[in-house]
Amino acid sequence: MNGPTLGSVDRDGALTEAVADLCGSTRAEFLRRSALGGAAMLAALAAPAEAATLSDVDILNFGLRFERLQATFYTQADEMGTIGAMAAAKRTWAETLGAHERAHVKIIKTVLGPKAEGRPTFDFGEANETPAAFTKTAVAMEDLTVALLTGVTPIVRDRGLVAALFGLLTVEARHAAWARHLTGANPAPDAFDQPKTLHQVRGVIARTRFVARAPRTSASHSPSFTG
Amino acid sequence: MRRRSARRARRVAVAVALAGSATAVALLAAPSERGPRGHATAAVRVPPPVAPAFTPGPPRRLGPARDRALWAPVKHAVAVRSAPDAAAPRIATLPAVTPEGTRNVVAIARRGQDRRGGRWVEARLAVLPNGRTGWVPRAALGGYGTVHTRLVVDRRALEATLYRDGRVLLRAPVAVGASGTPTPAGEFYVRNRLTRYRSATYGPVAFGTSARSPGVTDWPAGGFVGIHGTDRPDLVPGRVSHGCIRMRNPDILALARRMPVGTPVIVR
Repeated sequence: MNGPTLGSVDRDGALTEAVADLCGSTRAEFLRRSALGGAAMLAALAAPAEAATLSDVDILNFGLRFERLQATFYTQADEMGTIGAMAAAKRTWAETLGAHERAHVKIIKTVLGPKAEGRPTFDFGEANETPAAFTKTAVAMEDLTVALLTGVTPIVRDRGLVAALFGLLTVEARHAAWARHLTGANPAPDAFDQPKTLHQVRGVIARTRFVARAPRTSASHSPSFTG
Repeated sequence: MRRRSARRARRVAVAVALAGSATAVALLAAPSERGPRGHATAAVRVPPPVAPAFTPGPPRRLGPARDRALWAPVKHAVAVRSAPDAAAPRIATLPAVTPEGTRNVVAIARRGQDRRGGRWVEARLAVLPNGRTGWVPRAALGGYGTVHTRLVVDRRALEATLYRDGRVLLRAPVAVGASGTPTPAGEFYVRNRLTRYRSATYGPVAFGTSARSPGVTDWPAGGFVGIHGTDRPDLVPGRVSHGCIRMRNPDILALARRMPVGTPVIVR
């Protein structure tokens, strides 16, 4: 079979890089050698490296963790008065996004049932204490959500879940565009949204240190209260 | 002949598309059909969309802020200032750990900033005199926690009432401080929760609060007021303690299921 390969048509390597980002470099190398248009390529694209190790429950639980992070970020900003101190248009945006993220948490938790992981503890530091810091972080967070859903949705096995995640993805993309518009940034800077793997997003979240260790506020220590 | 060769060309095109791309799959799913006069009509048999496994409920904005309070853990011991300014007088030191070995937490009274824009937090302090507040840098505290509960202890009625978002969750009789060692009045908060200890005197659960008994400062650990169970339910309700708020064991267990750390405690 002497058909064109991905390597031969992708001279500057950009496409291969994108596939490597999505599927892992070994798979990208395989694609480079595979005949373009073959069934093998479709199968390979549909089954990126992460799919071999991640179950749908794993992916949904990570989604739940990420949605909880977002929901807590917006809810806290609302409760602390950060959102209340913003101009009307931004306030509507922030309140709407908070309500959406809380709805996402609720439904994913329901779908997972007893398989849902516990609620993590979050420490946003000063990131949601002022309107400026809040907005900047929210824009980055919404962009990251779009990249995450773009990356993980194709590796979900259950077609019903894929359909539901597409519903979340389009809403998150609207959030991101809305956020960018309000800050004066280009709502759609690129013709293609680069997907991020779950592993990559986990790394980004780890670098923010927004997920913190829960403070130990309970003990089996004998009380020394006045009695 | 022309018609035959045209059909053959079409078959080849379909075969190429089949092998080449997902578009071919879509084409196969919607094959062309012939109308009554033998002309090809538009392919219209589009498969129905896949039903989503879930759809979120309607988004809800936050309700009015009734019984909403912020608290935060203390990351490291820090000097407490009288104003949101590193040069302001030091009025106390906020420890990172409580006498019971749990992470110290503070209730947040206000947030502010210094002249350089640095973020500060006004915290309620577990020091004497009761009711003092002081300023600490935001960076000394961990992530905020939010509670929607409030415990009101009525010393005259000898009754405790737990509210959540303004609604009564629990009401129970209590024993409070005797006349020589009264339970202090004021606004405090729950600092920790102790369980599985071996002391029937405190019942099955004890909550530590930020309140301190002014009359028993020589008590071990500094005379902190607790809310706990008892091995003398016959003394509840009453005015018998050294300042602590005692509840019957079934009541303290019910409270423990509903009252998180950080809950404001109002004693009046």
